[in-house]
Amino acid sequence: MAAAATCGAGVLSSGFVASTTRQSDTTSFQRRSKASGADGGGPRLLSIAGTRPSVRNGQLLVSTGLPALDQLLGGGLAVGTVLLIEEDKYNMYSPLLFKYFLAEGIVNGHTLLVASAKEKPADILQELPAPQLDDNGKKELDDIHNPQTPDTDVNMKIAWRYQFLPKMQVGPVSSSRFGHYYDVSKRISQELLGSSKWHGFFLPEHITTELKGESCSLSRGYMKLLEFIQNIIYTEGFDGSNPQKKQKNILRIGIQNLGSPLWGDYICCTENCDNSLRLTKFLYILRGLLRTSLSACIITMPTHLIQNRAITTRVRNLSDTVVGLESFIGSESETNPFYKDYHGLIHIRKIPRLNNLTCDEWDVKDLAFKLKRKLFTIERLHLPPDLSDTVSRSSKQDLADSAKLLGPGCGMMAGGKKHLDF
Amino acid sequence: MLDSLLAVGGLVLLRDSVEWEGRSLLKALIKKSALRGEQIHVLGCEVSEEEFREGFGSDVNSRLVYHDLFKDPLNWSKPGEAVPEGPLGALRAMCRRTDPGPVTIALDSVSWLLLHLPCVTLCQTLHALSQPRVSPGTNSLVEQVRVLGLLHEELHGPGPTGALSTLAHTEVILSGKMGQTSASILCRRPQQRATYQVDPTAHLTFNLHLSKEEREARDSLTLPFQFSSEKQQALLRPGPGQTTSHIFYEPDAFDDVDQEDPDDDLDF
Repeated sequence: MAAAATCGAGVLSSGFVASTTRQSDTTSFQRRSKASGADGGGPRLLSIAGTRPSVRNGQLLVSTGLPALDQLLGGGLAVGTVLLIEEDKYNMYSPLLFKYFLAEGIVNGHTLLVASAKEKPADILQELPAPQLDDNGKKELDDIHNPQTPDTDVNMKIAWRYQFLPKMQVGPVSSSRFGHYYDVSKRISQELLGSSKWHGFFLPEHITTELKGESCSLSRGYMKLLEFIQNIIYTEGFDGSNPQKKQKNILRIGIQNLGSPLWGDYICCTENCDNSLRLTKFLYILRGLLRTSLSACIITMPTHLIQNRAITTRVRNLSDTVVGLESFIGSESETNPFYKDYHGLIHIRKIPRLNNLTCDEWDVKDLAFKLKRKLFTIERLHLPPDLSDTVSRSSKQDLADSAKLLGPGCGMMAGGKKHLDF
Repeated sequence: MLDSLLAVGGLVLLRDSVEWEGRSLLKALIKKSALRGEQIHVLGCEVSEEEFREGFGSDVNSRLVYHDLFKDPLNWSKPGEAVPEGPLGALRAMCRRTDPGPVTIALDSVSWLLLHLPCVTLCQTLHALSQPRVSPGTNSLVEQVRVLGLLHEELHGPGPTGALSTLAHTEVILSGKMGQTSASILCRRPQQRATYQVDPTAHLTFNLHLSKEEREARDSLTLPFQFSSEKQQALLRPGPGQTTSHIFYEPDAFDDVDQEDPDDDLDF
């Protein structure tokens, strides 16, 4: 825009051109318009709600719903990529990450596509956590849905000096437009759900008759899902195919329990099956669909059930970001005093390298998660601080011994038997 | 223990082995739910009907509907039929039944079905079978369907067992040592928040309630720093010489002020 101004001034100052320079078609410099062209991707700064460009490589990022996970993934999930969550053994915590992703989409006004073979998408959406918004966020939501009258201030009898002070927000709230905090103990409000746009794919509704044998290389369930996704992307213009659409939006796709027997896949049941490539083909085609549209996808997969390790490696290779959850329930780690504050470990197995040669890896590899009453937190795994001798903690010798067993990756010195006095 | 197993609907998987057999537990569960007044459908594949019904009283036997796949699984005695139904047809027929009321379906055994049907088909059918259904009729109640399945652990590899475990709501693993059977129950509870409030004044040895006169007397009591409303307003409004101090506090990611559990980070 500055270039156009100077060029115009330059033409004026030449003096010999009598025609007016107010018309922009006399100069070859055009003002860059915001909604020009249908090609997505690239470092173009699109102003879509709930996205921001990455500071590392300029990719457009969306939040996963957990600010802690966003930080570990280098700012967020890049648009056009797949986030694979490897489920924990009893499938207790991976649905929570799935729901965070969808709830973030609703709060930002993105379109959702929920696919599941186990539960109905409407039921999944009913169980989303409620967002914790600060006053600005609440005001915006209220203006959108129903204008409410401000409630009269309560007349306090004893604490009247605090009458006009604003109410303090308990818990972390996010006043920014990227990455919100959610309260897991509350369900999302019905108005918020009703105002959101979502599409559901429930597999038993799409597969009615059962044929004797499937000869196609891609299972019918996967084929139907891919067609559904492609249809939505095309009709709603997420791939830029509908040029009349002024306001661009993101499509958030969530696929639950992919690869389980309910999707018609045999990889969890046998080690060598005939059509073991169905899942990898599905992921390959899905990635192609995502790269050409403004969408982001989360997939939860029970990889602990996949019998053939080669398939697990291929699946990880084909996904862009891979996060594995390992919960302590039922395992011997549950009684390990080192792990007593946490509910499980979280492994960031892969971070994508998009349009650059290096990826931004977090240097801490030992991360643990804990599901508190309202919040899902991810923390570094470390010993509690070495307080004075009089404070009784579960004996430091046990902790030091069990830390030694874990190996040197914990970021502490292994010989912790002596107390350090300062 | 049996009540807790029968409390919620869904698939209950009983995993037994040669040393610790599970059919007696299955029969005990059937008897318990029959005594509650539910109808039981049994898909019998491994033992004959007489042997299965042995040990049940007449009231239990009257509620038991037995689908026999043991005597003639391949339908050889009726050669005129076009397509033998087989176990899959029997399961699908159970999905489609329309009789009202809570129902328990017992599969004796899931291992037999797993050996005769592809694993994926069985998983999908079991999932469809154990879904709660809306009863037809004027009052559309959501009925819980309970499916009890007996699985013999040594017959299958880790793949099918793992796949069925993910479908199951509750798993009972029978094991034991030295002649004593023990069962370990693994129950997957969906996250549920208690919505009822426990009344703390319920079971106390002293009286915490106020009578009407006591309440009025309490309300009319003048507290030491309770000023008249004019003086309150005067104090609240900042005077010309005073500067009000504002505190701007934004809790960040590490602040988790949980009103109900302020001692969350303490360690006893």
